[in-house]
Amino acid sequence: MRVVHYINQFFAGIGGEDSASAPPERRDGAIGPGRRLDALLGDEHTVVATVFCGDDRAASDPASLDEIMQLIRSADAEMVLAGPAFSSGRYGVACARVAGAAQAAGLIALASMAADNPGVAEAGAAPIVESGETARQMGPSLERFAAAARRVAAGEALAGIEGVIASTRRLNRLDARSAAERAVDLALARFDGDKTATEIPQPDFGHVHPAPPIDNPREALIALVSEGAVVPMGNPDRLESARAHKWLRYSLEGLDRLAPGEYQSVHGGFSTVAANADPNRILPLDAAREMERDGRIGSLYQEYLVTAGNGTSVADAQRFGVEWASELRRAGVRAAILTST
Amino acid sequence: MPDQAPRRRLVHIVSGVRSGAATTLDRGEVVVGDEDVRRAFTDPALASVSLSVLHPGDSARIVKVLDAAEPRTKGAGGGGVFPGFVGAANATLGVGDTHVLRGVAVVTAGYLPRAQEALVDMSGPAAPLSFLASTHNVVVEFEPAPGADWGEVAAAMRAGALRLAAALAEGALDHQPDVIEELPEPRIVLGDVDGDRSLPRIGVITNLQTQGAFKDVYVRGSSFGGSQPTAVNPAELDDGIVVSGQYGHPALKNPTYLHQNHPIVAALRARHGVDLTFAGLVLSPEPVEQHAKETVARQAAALCGELGWDAAILTKEGGGNADSDVSLKMDALEEVGVSAVGLFAEMAGADGTAPPVVAPPERSPAMVSTGNYDERLQLPAVERALGGARFDLLDTAATDAMDVPTAVVYASLSPLGWGRLTAAAATMASSE
Repeated sequence: MRVVHYINQFFAGIGGEDSASAPPERRDGAIGPGRRLDALLGDEHTVVATVFCGDDRAASDPASLDEIMQLIRSADAEMVLAGPAFSSGRYGVACARVAGAAQAAGLIALASMAADNPGVAEAGAAPIVESGETARQMGPSLERFAAAARRVAAGEALAGIEGVIASTRRLNRLDARSAAERAVDLALARFDGDKTATEIPQPDFGHVHPAPPIDNPREALIALVSEGAVVPMGNPDRLESARAHKWLRYSLEGLDRLAPGEYQSVHGGFSTVAANADPNRILPLDAAREMERDGRIGSLYQEYLVTAGNGTSVADAQRFGVEWASELRRAGVRAAILTST
Repeated sequence: MPDQAPRRRLVHIVSGVRSGAATTLDRGEVVVGDEDVRRAFTDPALASVSLSVLHPGDSARIVKVLDAAEPRTKGAGGGGVFPGFVGAANATLGVGDTHVLRGVAVVTAGYLPRAQEALVDMSGPAAPLSFLASTHNVVVEFEPAPGADWGEVAAAMRAGALRLAAALAEGALDHQPDVIEELPEPRIVLGDVDGDRSLPRIGVITNLQTQGAFKDVYVRGSSFGGSQPTAVNPAELDDGIVVSGQYGHPALKNPTYLHQNHPIVAALRARHGVDLTFAGLVLSPEPVEQHAKETVARQAAALCGELGWDAAILTKEGGGNADSDVSLKMDALEEVGVSAVGLFAEMAGADGTAPPVVAPPERSPAMVSTGNYDERLQLPAVERALGGARFDLLDTAATDAMDVPTAVVYASLSPLGWGRLTAAAATMASSE
């Protein structure tokens, strides 16, 4: 089969974070880790082209997926392999979306990333093959990815293929007995010594490695971001007050503070009376402008990013985080102040 | 506790409801008297109220559901039920007989600020998810007085609904009950930890959401905010000691009706003396600040330890913030040697693939699932809607067909354990 390999700017060798905004591009043949992948795929499959894109561009610009798909189609791809992305969130989300879109377009498509990568939830119907946590595990990760791809291409059922992350869905159903009756049974079981009994497995949230502190805040571009649902009065873009599926951006240009009556919080999880009396207490624009004037921070980013953090699913929250990080990095923001309510 | 005559519920099975001139119970049918409705809602914060009746199986929807109460009374004027609202705040409760109209609920519905959109469908796919789909419902809608304070409007509707519920039950005072239920007294045995240990002593800790206006729960008429965990005779729940003023988190609300009919108290009573000893009830606030959550958790665990409990079942009200109250208490209980089980709703995303619980306990994995909050439901159009003409969450007519998360169906993920809804893993390879 004709294989197109999708990777990011780093593995394509065009640069690191400084090139994370690079637009999608196509090169003939395999490059970077694709060379080893091509060899592992054997004689039946050939990497005919490599498509790559900067991580920030891919994760935060909705148009980039269409551009990537056009490049993939232009290479007459029959199979698309994306990654491995290891634990990199932006790269993982991009790989997952590319594989998901390719699968939806009728191609065979797989992505590879670590099991706790936020991209795992973004691949749609495309299978994801588990990789190691970091690029140090590139070798074994590629071996597993290639082996899985060969078996998928041969039409094998996914369930039997090693390394394919099974999507465990938790589905609602009506039990024969009430939750109260089941709780009594569980209490008796636990008292009787069954220390593992439960109806809900312990969740795995993965790990976030904190970024190093910035060297000099006096020269840094700083952003304000919030889950406090502060929006222009009247909520023109209809941010949800609970279970938000989206985030919004609003300009701070020319504003010294958020005037009461012009901004409001639509958060559904707390009384917004105090927040609406002074929206700066949720999004501290007044204090940030003061620090900007005093030279304690370099400058304030011209927009703020906002959602409502109230009953938000972990998958959505992870996606917001990846998209915010990409957005802010593309804009050269060095640090963000995230206010939580 | 001193020995007493058995605490009894005199249960009248209700087969229908209609409105009429005077309140009576007529061969199983509750007649809602106009005069009682008028007397229940005299507060100047209300311009008017209107009353409608819905029955199980109706092609009908209630939107903006606020609260529901089961009609009960202990005598003329209520005899002390719903203390602080109908009875005196210091009424003696938990003793003697209580008349219960079973199969009917007084339901309030309408716009309040901070109230999140909640709905009940009387038929269709959402009906099995809410207790109000199986009761005859006396639905009270309202118009606030011009310029009235919203807090006073909410208080007027809260007290009014309870007055009406007590008044409806009065129609049964001179009737023979259909069923008499004797309620076992819990063994509250402070200091008696060496007593009868032939059966495990299991109690329930019920967290009450105490987050201020429109998100508050009342005990004897006062907000439970700022209180410490308190051991309460569960029979006092039967008499309405706990009243809901909590209008957030539709699926995760604990309406007054379910406090009166606390499902875990019922499940423990049912097995009292069989394979467990019902050890009692502790009410606890759900404070907002982390340090207060931790302090209350420690206090609750110490209290249950003193009460000689072997195991505790934890219930909550609200979303992820309330999960941490359950988890902190479970951890504190396990630390003092009390086995802990918690009821949790899952937030696993619409497709059920996200981590189900945000703040799980660390020392006990024992979680009961009351279902996934995010899973979508497709509701058919209905002929009639009460509570409002619009369903604000989707900005559609309240009677329209709609696609909603389970989270909007009133009490569908009942943290008190009413429902049979649960979520379980269906493992499949990812392309199927």
